[in-house]
Amino acid sequence: MLRKEVNDLLTQTDPGTPMGDMFRQYWIPALLARELPEDDCPPVRVKLLGERLLAFRDSHGRYGLIDEFCAHRGVSLWFGRNEEGGLRCPYHGWKYDVEGNCTEVPSEPAESGFCEKIKLTAYPLIRIGDVLWTHMGDKDNRPPRPEWEFATVPAEQTYTSKRWQECNWLQAMEGGIDSSHVSWLHSGSLKSDPLFKGARGNQYNQNDKKPVFEVVEADGGLFIGARRMAENDQYYWRITPWVMPSFTMVPPRGDHPVHGHFWIPIDDENCWAWSFDYHPTRALSTEERQAMIDGYGVHNQYVPGTFRPRQNKDNDYLMDRDAQKRGETYSGVWGIAMQDASLQESMGPIVDRTKENLVSTDNGIIMARHRLRKAAVALRDKGTPPPGRDIAHQMVRSAARVLPQDQPFKDAMKDDLTVRPGVKQTSV
Amino acid sequence: MGDDIRDLFFDPNHPTLLGGCARAASAEEARYRVQYPNSRARTSRIFALDAAAAEVMYGVTESPWNGAHFLTLSTTATIDPEATPAEALPLAHPDGAAADLGRELDGADVVVLLATRGDSEGAAEVIAREAFHRKIMCAGLALAQDQQDHAVDRVVNSMRRFASVLVVARDNDFVPAMLTALRA
Ligand code: FES
Ligand SMILES: [Fe+2]
Repeated sequence: MLRKEVNDLLTQTDPGTPMGDMFRQYWIPALLARELPEDDCPPVRVKLLGERLLAFRDSHGRYGLIDEFCAHRGVSLWFGRNEEGGLRCPYHGWKYDVEGNCTEVPSEPAESGFCEKIKLTAYPLIRIGDVLWTHMGDKDNRPPRPEWEFATVPAEQTYTSKRWQECNWLQAMEGGIDSSHVSWLHSGSLKSDPLFKGARGNQYNQNDKKPVFEVVEADGGLFIGARRMAENDQYYWRITPWVMPSFTMVPPRGDHPVHGHFWIPIDDENCWAWSFDYHPTRALSTEERQAMIDGYGVHNQYVPGTFRPRQNKDNDYLMDRDAQKRGETYSGVWGIAMQDASLQESMGPIVDRTKENLVSTDNGIIMARHRLRKAAVALRDKGTPPPGRDIAHQMVRSAARVLPQDQPFKDAMKDDLTVRPGVKQTSV
Repeated sequence: MGDDIRDLFFDPNHPTLLGGCARAASAEEARYRVQYPNSRARTSRIFALDAAAAEVMYGVTESPWNGAHFLTLSTTATIDPEATPAEALPLAHPDGAAADLGRELDGADVVVLLATRGDSEGAAEVIAREAFHRKIMCAGLALAQDQQDHAVDRVVNSMRRFASVLVVARDNDFVPAMLTALRA
């Protein structure tokens, strides 16, 4: 249960809200690099943290993320002409560069200097890996460029997708740290999904359906450990890191690529679910990459030409009651990503957490909310920068390993939970 | 379902419910959620296993809880779990009145163990054993505020065998946050 005012605090991210200010402390994923594939390509509408923006790539390969609307009479610059080092509004020809500076107002004499008075809000847009990142906060307080491992390994080792999720970011993210749902909701997929099946660890999952959880705070967020019985009285551990505000990684299985997510608010009732898959030491195979493109694992299929999942609330997520009955899918919805999204969207745009009845196994979620709330309040009241900005906080990995009973995972798996360039993930 | 998910997506006969989810998931419809309570008061039992944990616990006992009982050990002696049946575990309410473990656990929904030190394993075992017999979930909360890592490991190890969920909290303010979340 969460009191209404705390629920509001955590779920509202428009400009001027405490949680919105907190998200504006970080570099966040804004677009896939492939959405702006070449110089002077069509601009892309982007809504983030309740702000309508336009992303474009100019004639010189510079990326920009600016206020969507022309300062003259409010036309959407999505209709603009991206040419000769800037974006020109099609209505009366005002032109803007990637920093939002107005560089031409054709009706006014150039000598008047009028255009220098016009400036659209602009945020930096930088490419790291397959992702274009932005920082929507104070430019004098810009965090170091992000160094998440999935974004910094060579291109052939990584794949990133995003999908539009039609609910608040927090209920989506909470699914990412809710380890206790996996044995239920995704039970069918563990056996059949090409990006999951065949790992030895899966048998521990099947054999011991009642994992025990350990939640341990870390500098950047949390480690959520789920342990099950393995042979010889040992424990099979699966550790999910969460880095504030909204980065999670799924513990690996066998030599499958490792996956994880970012959950980024579009507005209070919509978010981007970013999903990545990478292998720290080898290229993804052709089959793996194709499986990701085809929507397996944590990825999904799309309504063509959009980032809206093909299974969405307008077609009841292609609910298949027969498959549910046969046990191929637990909920009747195909695919891990949409199994999660369908349920999270069903909660309503912003779930009313005053009605929840949490149990002790929900402690990962309880702790994450607690940390978010404290960080947002400390930022609001004291200006304290929140955890997760430091590069060191980003150097985490998920891991899976069998350990003797008396070894705390936080110590025994310290290296496994840290990015080690050139060393593969620890997995069973 | 065929191997190729496209078989599913392109199946013209695939049954759907004509988009009922779209309307059901809207903000307008959220207003019509049933407003009656969906749960009854819980019976939570919180045990502080050492003096520092008891201090933290006393800091929150005054708040209006939904029937939670807050209990401390009324001895500093080491508890030998083999030699200590439930009724012999010396427990006290915050006002000093003696409490009986069995009676406290009858009908309880959840047991929360609070510890700042690793030397209360015996008491933890006695409580957890009783909880286990009654099939009550037992959560362990290791309070790590102002503690070194190895000390925290000892706390965690002292509860690991008994707790079905274990939390290591860096700050004591997690105690009221967790109890509120659990409707204690
Ligand atoms: S069982 Fe968890 S939301 Fe219903
Ligand atoms: Fe999930």
